[in-house]
Amino acid sequence: MDRLFNRHGDGCAICVAADHGYMSDVTPNVVNLRSTIEAVIAGGVDGILLAPGQALRLAPLFKGRDGPALIVRADWMNMPRLGTSNVSNAVPQRLLINEKVITAEQALSLGATAITIYLFLGYSDKVEVIGVDKCTRFVNECRRAGLPCIIEPLAYGGQVTGANIVEILTLGARMAVEIGADALKIPYTGDVDSFRNLIDVSGVPTLVLGGARSDQERDALELFAEAHEAGASGCLMGRNVTKSPDPKAMIEQFCHIGHHGWTVDEALHGETWNFVRLKARPSLCTGCDLCVGACVASHGDGDYGIHKARLQIKPGNQPGQHNIMFCTTCKKCIDVCPTKALRWHLEYGAVELLPERCDSCGKCVDICPTKVIIHSQTGLTFEDGHSLDWYPVICDLCGGTPECARICPTGAIFIAQRPDFTPVLD
Amino acid sequence: MNSKLYRMSDLLSPADGRSLVVDTSKGLVLGALSGLEHWEEAVCPLLPLLDGIVTSPGQARKLMSRTRQEAALLIRADWTNALRGEDFVLPPETIQYIPLLNSSDAMDLGANALVMYFILGHEEEIETQCLQRMVNLALEGLNLGMPLLVDVQPIGPRVVLLNKAIELGVSYAIEGGADGVIVPWPGAQSFKTIQAMGNGLPVWVRPGSLELDTPDLAEALQLGAAGFWLDERIFAVNEPAVVLQAFRTLLHAPVVV
Repeated sequence: MDRLFNRHGDGCAICVAADHGYMSDVTPNVVNLRSTIEAVIAGGVDGILLAPGQALRLAPLFKGRDGPALIVRADWMNMPRLGTSNVSNAVPQRLLINEKVITAEQALSLGATAITIYLFLGYSDKVEVIGVDKCTRFVNECRRAGLPCIIEPLAYGGQVTGANIVEILTLGARMAVEIGADALKIPYTGDVDSFRNLIDVSGVPTLVLGGARSDQERDALELFAEAHEAGASGCLMGRNVTKSPDPKAMIEQFCHIGHHGWTVDEALHGETWNFVRLKARPSLCTGCDLCVGACVASHGDGDYGIHKARLQIKPGNQPGQHNIMFCTTCKKCIDVCPTKALRWHLEYGAVELLPERCDSCGKCVDICPTKVIIHSQTGLTFEDGHSLDWYPVICDLCGGTPECARICPTGAIFIAQRPDFTPVLD
Repeated sequence: MNSKLYRMSDLLSPADGRSLVVDTSKGLVLGALSGLEHWEEAVCPLLPLLDGIVTSPGQARKLMSRTRQEAALLIRADWTNALRGEDFVLPPETIQYIPLLNSSDAMDLGANALVMYFILGHEEEIETQCLQRMVNLALEGLNLGMPLLVDVQPIGPRVVLLNKAIELGVSYAIEGGADGVIVPWPGAQSFKTIQAMGNGLPVWVRPGSLELDTPDLAEALQLGAAGFWLDERIFAVNEPAVVLQAFRTLLHAPVVV
């Protein structure tokens, strides 16, 4: 499991499902499988799901300690041919069939790190019970072989409606765990809360799958970002990656979100940002105050005191909730300053104090909506002899790489681009 | 003594031949049950109060490091959608039954016994499958020393006389080689018949509710019941430990936890 989920030490696995040729129509991603696999490996993928035959042929691509983990599809189903796909028109199928095709020992001999099998719910009682039987037998085989078993519950069939699909997926997830699944591969339920509940009642690593290919790259990234926020241990993206014009770039984007805590915007636009601002996800804040400590440590002179920090963590309305208060670059302090002592820093885009113009009037402290402009601990004396008892201390975004965002363990504080911002001096 | 008797003695107290068992295995069919959403958190603190715990194969793996002082591990060996009601998210259109584990699988998981359903009152095929499975597991268990406990469930629409159906289920279980049976309370007369048929076979009673002051519980013990077989409803009460302690006091001497 570590080989799949712990390549980066963060319990997250960005994986690609490339087994569609086994069950779906013949599309370019199926025809050009080798080049697609090479591209996603170059992008940094952690695991790749293949059918047994392709696992045999493409084995050399998985070599080495840096190589991705191989997940083998252990069963076969004809669901794509029951719908309206091209193959359905060519050789239509009437009944859903799902059968195991290899054993755990065979998967092991192919070099599998894990196997995955389906569990269909909602088609018919017969199909469900066959699935339970197959999954249980396979879990037992995998246990004896020492191979992790990833069960993929799917809600499909006449009993599935828009109103009950979340409940069916949650049922399937828990059933899979009761059967003995080591991990799950499951569709996103559509919202963070219900997916978080699904993961909560499962208690095993859960990979969210991407589903049908979306026209917008952003959709798949946002789906994964939401699932990740809900507690998913990674993703197993299929057509959204393999049918992408640039699978390597897509995998890099998924890796940035899963392994580096980037937002979707950051992942889409990359690292070349001129100006950044801080943003927050309060629901992820645990109140650990590492951000506050990092702020003081990065600006301090060896003294410590959370009162010296340029951001604050305050209790929320409910127990366990926290409000993250930092400089939102709203510009109110710059606008209110009667002596024009505050301006944008030309290089970093943070608020910059020109102390020689400051008269310690305190208007910037009063107007700050998040109350994070603090009084300095000491005053200043200038060459012309005038002095200040105190001056305002304001967030400087740490020169463009805020320490609070860097150190936050949950991604509750993160940076975002300011694409339309250009600092102009008055 | 043989392996089966050793395993059963972990479940049934040698002092009084009784045991208190809780069955958590319905999650295999019904998903996350109320109070069991976080299975380990709910179950593990209660293990010292139990003589036996029934789990699904998946959850059994979480108990492999338990001590001898904690409950014996009983593993659910089969699956059926007959436990789902009409108001379940996937109400059964046809009743299905499948075996899940054999005796050697149970052995690998460290089980003291296998538990299987005997479903009465649905299609003939279901009853036949249960019977076949029961005999197979009993014979396998004989070779491996793995006891088989049969959970008689007269829940189908064809059940006309409930008490007689329970007697029939027990009879089939005995004929099939069960090492113990679990029944809903069938009334004093039927229970006497069951005890006579069993000739010393442990018979657990599945109470209809968690109320301890019902006369059925005391009567069952007087008539020689091997103990009580509670289900997931225990996890939905405010203080499961208090309720279990009360049941335990009824069965054995109080346990200080």
